[in-house]
Amino acid sequence: MANLTASLLSAGGTLDAYTQALGVVQNNVANASTPGFAAQSQTFDPLEFNPNEGFPGGVQAGQVVSSRNEYAEQAVQQQTTLQGQAQQDVNSLTSMQSLFDVTGSSGIATAFNNLFSAFSAWGQTPDSSVAQQNVIEQANAVASAFQQTATGLDTVAQNTQQQLQSTVAEINQFSSQLAGFNQKIMNGDRNDPGLDAQIHTTLDQLSNDGSISASQQADGTWTVLLNGQTPLVMGQQVFALTAGTVAPAAGSANPNAPPQLSVLAYDGRDITASTTAGQLGSILNLANHVLPGYMGDGTQPGSLNTLAQSFAGTVNNLLTAGYQSSGPPPVAGVPLFTFNNTNATNVAQTLQVSSSITPDQLAAISPGPPAVSNGVPLALSQLASPTTSTGEINGLSYTQFYAGMASNVGTLLDNANSNLQTQQAAVAQAQSVRQQLSGVSLDQEATILIQFQQAYEANSKFISVLDQLTEDTMNMLPNT
Amino acid sequence: MDAAPGAERLAIARSEVNRACGLLIASTPEALQNCQKALRTALSELTAFRSTAGEGPAAAGARKVTAALQSDVQLAGSLLRNLANFYKGWERIQGIVGYTANGDPSAVARRGRICCRG
Repeated sequence: MANLTASLLSAGGTLDAYTQALGVVQNNVANASTPGFAAQSQTFDPLEFNPNEGFPGGVQAGQVVSSRNEYAEQAVQQQTTLQGQAQQDVNSLTSMQSLFDVTGSSGIATAFNNLFSAFSAWGQTPDSSVAQQNVIEQANAVASAFQQTATGLDTVAQNTQQQLQSTVAEINQFSSQLAGFNQKIMNGDRNDPGLDAQIHTTLDQLSNDGSISASQQADGTWTVLLNGQTPLVMGQQVFALTAGTVAPAAGSANPNAPPQLSVLAYDGRDITASTTAGQLGSILNLANHVLPGYMGDGTQPGSLNTLAQSFAGTVNNLLTAGYQSSGPPPVAGVPLFTFNNTNATNVAQTLQVSSSITPDQLAAISPGPPAVSNGVPLALSQLASPTTSTGEINGLSYTQFYAGMASNVGTLLDNANSNLQTQQAAVAQAQSVRQQLSGVSLDQEATILIQFQQAYEANSKFISVLDQLTEDTMNMLPNT
Repeated sequence: MDAAPGAERLAIARSEVNRACGLLIASTPEALQNCQKALRTALSELTAFRSTAGEGPAAAGARKVTAALQSDVQLAGSLLRNLANFYKGWERIQGIVGYTANGDPSAVARRGRICCRG
């Protein structure tokens, strides 16, 4: 009778264990569409079987085991970081590229062409007030185009600063959420699959903003580091980041230049230099490296200001070296353009036609000897295609220099778009691998690894040959 | 013969490389096997195209398609490298952890690694 009771108890216990297992399966099905959810399985622990001693055997429910593969999770996070960086690059550079129209319908390139044409027309009729007035109008258009481009870049810079603040705020918010999840884990929810899903979804979102490393501690809580060294979350504690700006050093070449953006760790440590990945890395790169190349910073005037200053300076030099009238006494020419010459990073923004100049003050006569009645407008019109170093920057005409600036933005945007396409595929691939590895056994892992290694060699060779062959084909085909 | 067959071959090559990219994203063992087939087809189509390239009016437009094909091939290469890096890291981790399916310490498979038993 005792044995029968023991058998019944054993069967009952086993049924309880399987009821728990069914509950786990039911939970998996219910959460099939939950973002970040990883299926769980119920393990069973055998009970001692010794009927003579009253141990009826059977099983009891053991631990609930997650199928999540943390290595695959990290791979998804790493690719997501690169995707976030590429996406932010595309967004920022698209707004920058719109400021550099090279189609010939607007912008600095068009204004240059129109002004060079106006110089040429003035050279044909140096005493024509209509031609002189046209020069003033087209010069105004050039100044306006420079101001608009500089203002546009300034807007991009301001938007970038706002994006930095919002991205840092988002990182801090995700960190707070993770600290809250850690609190729940410490309160005993360590095996809650819903909580686990929330944690991993938050980590995926956070990885879009920056390069993170997430590791689970012995107590089940998650520690998250930025750039592998700056803590964001440890247990219930959040280590908040701060967005800031750094003005040029007092002794720098351009002390009044726009400030650079920075990110500070919880302890005030500047981590800008080490923050190169994710959305945050892209924002800092644009603000501190790409934009200064155009707008200037403490150490450089920026290409837009270099162009504005060189162009305005050359035009002014030619005009002031000429004569409005040969006299006697001869009347010297006056400068056409004015700009802020105390701040090399503010030339384009402040470039304008002198408010006091009148058309008849444009000096057409080059003093020579011999004096030439239209020498100055001819020299000005030759700035379109200079034959000497006057009117050149680094060996390039003003139009070519501007085209180089525009082309540089276009190239950066093309590369960013290409990177984004690659990263979107890479994230999809990492998610696919994560899905495949979810819940596989160590034996299955080893099998997959061997299958991959076998396939890799062949695929790699095909791709290598295809790459070379497409390159050769490109060289073989005509350009037009 | 006009250039249409050549252009078609180029289009097929590109389509096959795109398919290979999709298979590399799926990255199951079966997908990787099929990826080889897709790349092999692309290679043979490109080789066939090259024998007719430069002929006919479509030759000029072919450069643009070839550039796009090259970009797709580079994407496929990038996806394959990602997988290689992933599995390389995975293999390294398994080597460091050194466990078997039964939970026993695995034999030291790599030089310079230390395995503690006890």
